[in-house]
Amino acid sequence: MSWTRWPAFIVIALVGLAIRLPQLDVRPMHTDEAVNAYIVGQLLAGEPFTYDPQDRHGPALAALALPLARMQGARSFSDLTESELRLTSIVAGSIIILLFGAAVEMFGFVPSLLTALLFAVAPLPVYYDRYFIHEPLFCAATLGLILSAWYACKTHSTGQAMLAGACAAFMLACKETALLHLLALAAAALVFRVWNSQNTDSAKFPRPRHLLAALATFMALTVILFTWFGSNWKALSALTHVATDVLARAAGQGHQQPVWYYGQLLTGGWSGGLLFAFACVGLFIAIKKRDSSPYQWLAYYGLFLAAIYSLIPYKTPWLALNLWLPLAIFAGMTVVMLWRWTAGKFGKRAAIPAFCVLAFAGVLIGHDTRQRVFLQPADETNPYAYAHTSDDILGLPAEIEDMARRNGINSPRVAVIASDPWPLPWYLRHFNQVGFWQPGQQVPDADFYVTSTEAAEQYADRLRGFRPDFFGSRPGVLILLWLPEPK
Amino acid sequence: MPEIMKTILSRICPIVVLSLAATAALAQDKVPLKTQLPRPLFVGTPVPLNVPNLEPPLKGRRPDFMVPAGTINLAKGKNVTASDNSPIIGTLDLVTDGDKAGDEGSWVELGPGKQWVQIDLAKSAHVYAVLVWHFHSQARVYRDVVAQVSDDPTFKSGVTTIFNNDFKGELGLGAGKDLNYVETYQGKLIDAKGAKGRYVRLYSNGNTTNKLNDYIEVEVWGKPA
Repeated sequence: MSWTRWPAFIVIALVGLAIRLPQLDVRPMHTDEAVNAYIVGQLLAGEPFTYDPQDRHGPALAALALPLARMQGARSFSDLTESELRLTSIVAGSIIILLFGAAVEMFGFVPSLLTALLFAVAPLPVYYDRYFIHEPLFCAATLGLILSAWYACKTHSTGQAMLAGACAAFMLACKETALLHLLALAAAALVFRVWNSQNTDSAKFPRPRHLLAALATFMALTVILFTWFGSNWKALSALTHVATDVLARAAGQGHQQPVWYYGQLLTGGWSGGLLFAFACVGLFIAIKKRDSSPYQWLAYYGLFLAAIYSLIPYKTPWLALNLWLPLAIFAGMTVVMLWRWTAGKFGKRAAIPAFCVLAFAGVLIGHDTRQRVFLQPADETNPYAYAHTSDDILGLPAEIEDMARRNGINSPRVAVIASDPWPLPWYLRHFNQVGFWQPGQQVPDADFYVTSTEAAEQYADRLRGFRPDFFGSRPGVLILLWLPEPK
Repeated sequence: MPEIMKTILSRICPIVVLSLAATAALAQDKVPLKTQLPRPLFVGTPVPLNVPNLEPPLKGRRPDFMVPAGTINLAKGKNVTASDNSPIIGTLDLVTDGDKAGDEGSWVELGPGKQWVQIDLAKSAHVYAVLVWHFHSQARVYRDVVAQVSDDPTFKSGVTTIFNNDFKGELGLGAGKDLNYVETYQGKLIDAKGAKGRYVRLYSNGNTTNKLNDYIEVEVWGKPA
């Protein structure tokens, strides 16, 4: 089984790629994607990564995106394209699918295969694997940690322990919320251990030397990544505030959602309820069995994580990918259990109805993926498209170019005045002379002005002789492009 | 008083008196347009004040708009046609059903790009005001809004354009000079200046949130011709 499994997982990963790659540049860049793109642009310009715990998260995404962008020929921020950047997340999503090939000893072959298949085709992972944000990479690192930590405890392998430490470091280098996951994993391990204290077959706690090996790897990799390979040691000081920053962010910061937000998100669409129900059955059985299987540990982890994510007010839909990981594994487990139960009761006669049920589930999943990923990727009715950049903004640079051409301006000077200009730096990256100012600052003369609605009034004299055109930045958020009257 | 002054006064006074009387009579004939406003659904994105070339936002309720006495909403319950016969959301009758609430089920959504809705008033009428609510549960601007009145259902002849903010002329109806505006629960009031026609057609070309075209309600205030 050791090698024969891989062709199946590689085929599934290819299926995942085939679904993820088309129309990669169609959806407008979300603000978070634009910020991440700007960071890659800075790195392409030779600047080191500067860790800013407030908004920028860790360096892992940029570290993976930079070589991929270079391989695709990008040399500067303006060279970057949506497709080039989003390929990074697709690579991370493909890693997740392939990692299930390494999960066969932990979860079994068929459940791992089914879970990989769910990750390849289901709407939520497909959607966020096409998003240039940290979550897909974070999810890959989390799965890597779960697998390597389990194998390290099972086999007492120092290599696996170091791998676990590396995965934990990658998690932290993706997002500071890694601390919450590490807490949930540790709490789950503790409960698992106490619950199975009578069971001699259960996984053992790691030995001190393995813990030390994992910790040393974690520390070393964290230092290497956050200091950007030793070029920015100030990052370590910022890193000491991570826990307090995570707590501050957890309070909401404008992203407050109700407790049931993730439940609603995961059960939505045609297929969400079915998958969620399957996952709940699997989770219930895993806890009830008390057979010290890895499913049990995963069940506790899933429950702790769901509780943490639901109870903290700060919620964004892409964080649901972290909950989707255990959900998909338990859904896969349930399908296998149901098949075994049905086959045991009805024999081969069960094959046709079982196939019909799976085909029906496939149709539901296919519908949701098509709807949410391809038909309405940025629509405000799509629950995955959170505070998404409107399609409308795509017309803004085109209008500047058009008006500049009509007015005979070769290199238009564009002044952006807004307290939150994102994602405009992305959409104006092809213009040579673009500046960004905060409202109230002195702004030099420009050929075009882009202002927030709040900022415009302060510059009324400057804007006399310009014709405003509204653009939707996000649903309900308007910006104004001030155009010179055509000559 | 010199003779010339007396002559002037004697000639001007009757004209002034007559003008004042006529104005008073006309003023007495005019009444404020009274429409029921829906509940506001959002606290709007702040829109700049005192900015050139931009319609200033309403501070509180809209000032009274005067229309001739006897002016009624001729559009209520009237037949509506559109460039898109298969709306994405809702049905065309929602445009004139009197429901301006703006919540789920109260609007019709036409497809992307340039679209129009047309109201058949059943008889030719003098139109004094058109009130339109595209969508008012978030700050949006509808692009290239044009309103026309005509007796020709195909709008090929006898067309009076009463509003046009398509300043780039993208609809092919000529470049307009009216200003863009942000949708609110108060709707957009268009002064139709008594334009005569049986049909009222409203164009739009997507909005700042998506490429679609929404209509919660259209009121056509006028008197039968």
